[in-house]
Amino acid sequence: MADAETGYVNYCEILGVGEDPKPGEVRKVYRRKMKALVGEIARVEITQERRAHYLLEMAKLNAALCVLRDTAAREQYWNERKGLIALEEQWRQADGAGSDEADGLRRKFDARVRDFLSKYVEELMLDAGNDKECVDASHWDTAHERHAFRILRHYRHGLYQEILERLPYAGVTRPSIDWDERSRLAASILAERG
Amino acid sequence: MAKKTAGDGAAEKEVDPELTARATAKAVCDGDFVNFQFLFSPFSPARKDSPERFESEKFDHLLPDGDCQVAPAFRAALEVVRSEAVWGHIEQELEANRPARLPWELLLMLADNAVRLGKYASAAQAYELLRIRRRMQAVFFEQADAALEQGAVKKAVRGYLIATGLEYDYAGFPEPLPDVPDFQTRALMLHGEYPKTPEDCVALQEPAAFLRTALGYLLLDAGAAARIAERPVDTQVAFLKELVHQRDPEWREFVHRFREACDMMRDLGKRLTRSTKEDGDGATLAEEIEEQLGEDPRQVPALLTGRTVEGGEWWQYMKELAYEHPAAVLFVSRQLVGEVETLVPRYRADSPVPRELGLVTGAAGVHP
Repeated sequence: MADAETGYVNYCEILGVGEDPKPGEVRKVYRRKMKALVGEIARVEITQERRAHYLLEMAKLNAALCVLRDTAAREQYWNERKGLIALEEQWRQADGAGSDEADGLRRKFDARVRDFLSKYVEELMLDAGNDKECVDASHWDTAHERHAFRILRHYRHGLYQEILERLPYAGVTRPSIDWDERSRLAASILAERG
Repeated sequence: MAKKTAGDGAAEKEVDPELTARATAKAVCDGDFVNFQFLFSPFSPARKDSPERFESEKFDHLLPDGDCQVAPAFRAALEVVRSEAVWGHIEQELEANRPARLPWELLLMLADNAVRLGKYASAAQAYELLRIRRRMQAVFFEQADAALEQGAVKKAVRGYLIATGLEYDYAGFPEPLPDVPDFQTRALMLHGEYPKTPEDCVALQEPAAFLRTALGYLLLDAGAAARIAERPVDTQVAFLKELVHQRDPEWREFVHRFREACDMMRDLGKRLTRSTKEDGDGATLAEEIEEQLGEDPRQVPALLTGRTVEGGEWWQYMKELAYEHPAAVLFVSRQLVGEVETLVPRYRADSPVPRELGLVTGAAGVHP
């Protein structure tokens, strides 16, 4: 995935299909991947970290199936995603040029990126857990859902952070960090009372 | 620095730039992210278009007192505030009719001061705004690991506490915020299920498993605990000992009470052995506690916490214990006595940890 797209969840990539897959292909790949995942979960000892990892993987596959098997839903998702990537680029260019439009574009982008991630990460993944096809293949139940709330919100913010890292600074001027100085500072802070 | 005046003659407001400079330097020196942000907010007394004034008593806390003004950290911050580029930026942001862009030089200085003062939530917020929080965590972990390699356990623990203190809770609602120590909640999760067998007790886990649990609980971060768990056992024990003391400077108070509680339990154990021999009747420890402590088996947790909670449930004592002495909950377990569930002290006699923490004396200690 190109750097400019990092953070905008890509369900085609998650499922490993092209940008315009046939519903039959989506179902076939989904079932194969979910079967492999369920088999892997049965083989390993489940720790707290692994539970979170597998639950997230399962939720991603379920969401990918739900959004990609339906042509209208897929087109809407894909258009929103492309529109958001274009808006980010527009804001970056306006900010770089010192345009007066930059602040307005920042606000618009910020609202849309939050909306996109809420809709296509948290809400879609939780809704997919109630889909019969997903429940049959992944055995998703209320226990999964209970754990998923926190894990999905964490994942959503992780994606938001990935996007934020490359955006122009808004609440603070762009810092100039000397990482050698940072290491020395950390060492001196530890030595102060160490 | 020229004085600023509001254009409206009737409601003319003057802002003394010296007060703005000193208030800004104080927030930086104190590592106070909230006050720093407030100075740039629409209601800031530093803005000439705001009705608020520094002269108001309610803003006394924003201005430095005599001790603060002579502190080296304050003077260093004031010097940066007064530098031409930074002061020019501050003036520009206070006059602009839009959300302010904070000067990064001051924000970074504020974050570093906050780390020094142990205000990790404030430091985390400032580093997060600068987008260097995760990398700063990595820097502190790196320095802490290097210190541990050299046997400087105090430094290492301090580094781990700083690094984990800078953690952010991205799943926070409605917006992500710094992760804060919540031992009262974590202690209840640790003891969430009633122990049916000794292995279910945290305190009676195998030493390796106990170390993993204890480090994860006290560092509030399973990933950080895993870094320590890769080290030799004696390093882990030394690290845990120092961690307990840095988390809880009053640990010795608990040690004293824990030993008294152990004596009480040991006495009950002796009575139980005697009564079993004499009567040939297999009374349980729970029955013996019930008999000896009369109607209130909560004497044991009251002794452990140093305070009686009227009709206190086990979880109330547990939360109080976790708040006062976070590590204490690693050495207790739930115990049903009659119809009342209470807390009792527990430890493994073959584990080096209780001895290192002063909970037991002598060669092997006694397993209550």
